[in-house]
Amino acid sequence: MRNEIELEGIIEDYLNGKLTEAEAKEFEQLRRNDPAIDHKVVAHKVFLESLRSYGAVTDLKQKMDEAHARIDVETLSRKLGPHPSFMVNIWRKNRAAMGVAASFLLLSFAVLYSIQQNTEQIGSVEQVKRDLTSLKSSQSSLIRKINSTASAPKNENPANYGGTGFALTANGYILTSLHVIEGAESITVLDNQGQPYKVRVVRTDSQYDLAILKITDDKFRILSNLPYRLKHDNIGMGEEVYTLGFPKDDAVYGRGYVSSGTGYNGDTTQYQVSIPVNPGNSGGPLLDQKGNIIGVISAKQNQVDGATFAVKSKYIQEALNSIPNDSLGNKVVFSKKNSLQVLSKPKQIEKIKDYVFMIKVYK
Amino acid sequence: MLNKLYAGYFPMVLQFILNNNGDEDDAKDVYQEGIIVLYNKIKGGDFELSSKLKTYIYSVCRRIWLKKLAQYSKKTSSVADFEDIIAIEEDMEQHEEKDQQFEKMEVALTSLGEPCKTIIQDFYIHNLSMQDICEKFGYTNTDNAKTQKYKCLQRLKKLFFQSELK
Repeated sequence: MRNEIELEGIIEDYLNGKLTEAEAKEFEQLRRNDPAIDHKVVAHKVFLESLRSYGAVTDLKQKMDEAHARIDVETLSRKLGPHPSFMVNIWRKNRAAMGVAASFLLLSFAVLYSIQQNTEQIGSVEQVKRDLTSLKSSQSSLIRKINSTASAPKNENPANYGGTGFALTANGYILTSLHVIEGAESITVLDNQGQPYKVRVVRTDSQYDLAILKITDDKFRILSNLPYRLKHDNIGMGEEVYTLGFPKDDAVYGRGYVSSGTGYNGDTTQYQVSIPVNPGNSGGPLLDQKGNIIGVISAKQNQVDGATFAVKSKYIQEALNSIPNDSLGNKVVFSKKNSLQVLSKPKQIEKIKDYVFMIKVYK
Repeated sequence: MLNKLYAGYFPMVLQFILNNNGDEDDAKDVYQEGIIVLYNKIKGGDFELSSKLKTYIYSVCRRIWLKKLAQYSKKTSSVADFEDIIAIEEDMEQHEEKDQQFEKMEVALTSLGEPCKTIIQDFYIHNLSMQDICEKFGYTNTDNAKTQKYKCLQRLKKLFFQSELK
């Protein structure tokens, strides 16, 4: 037992940084060679941490009790408790709602240019495409003369609005911006291979401009586990971010940085991001360098260059909570693992591509 | 500093609880738990305020109270709100984990009994030296005190990890 006591003493000194450099080195060597000792060190550390945090919280509680004793709770309760007057109660209870109503009024005055692909732009894109096709056909006609095979590709693009969405769960829940699908007669999502799927709208959230779709198509195969994770903490200014979206028929990568912790007019539910986006990027995921989802691309400010707004990821969580439990009664949870963080950017994008969808809307 | 903070936001939480089926004692419990959540978050080092401090405290306390109401199976159909709220799901998850640890440690220390409890607290929490402890408890030399402390800690660990199995 003597030895045990001494060992614990050394472990404590080691954890508290009280060993000399040479001693610490020697001890680390011992740890490496003897897994039993290593385990003891780790277990002791964890245990001491919970003991200390117990101490800290107890101490805090005591101080709070002291602070509490100085407050005249009785007078406060009389002032703040349920008021006998009906009108005062109505006002108190609905103060928040009235505030919301007022801010909606303000919002409607604000000029926000939503990033939607409109008919005109599709038109011009298609025009270019057509030119390309005719060019190609003139080329291929040349080629055909030589080996007389191949047929010209057929272009179909009847959807008149488009946006981007990304998988929330492996079983086909997709998140996008509400304004992308608002007023839609029918919605189709296309995966990275261009395979279309039927979807239904599960939930819309006008406050945060979010919408959740569920793929209902029989052709849909359940995805493998989501590679990314939802980052709940706010991220700081200057953090480099990127997005993947469908401003055209193929996925386009965009890179930028967070330029402000708040969105349009100081909206705390959004980030301002300096990133090149185009109509069609709406609803796309905003990811940090490690491949954590930090937001959803929502809108771009008219006339200000490089000011894009993205809804913060924590509001995605709220939307996620509304997805019904699965058949086993388990709550749907976002992947807690992020398999991307060790990968290089091109590899990350390669993985994410399968989870980002083009959304086509017919109005 | 703590006094000021504590007195500053208590009325807000008191108002919320009183108007949602609670009394002054509930308000005190909920509020203190809310401050502990804030404290642990700040201590965790990842605290970045995305909203007003007031909004954060309100959201946390609101969430704690709604959970308690659900436990008492009181009605929660309509909550009277007085402030904006923000999402704090992850913080609450972490808090619940920490809270469990806290309760386990409390139970373990209580069942540890004296003088072990005080020796452990003095040494590990109040950072008294072995020498101080030796004098305080009247041990003849520090080696005896060390042996005693070692035995106490072993027992505490056993109690703590046992409760984990339940």
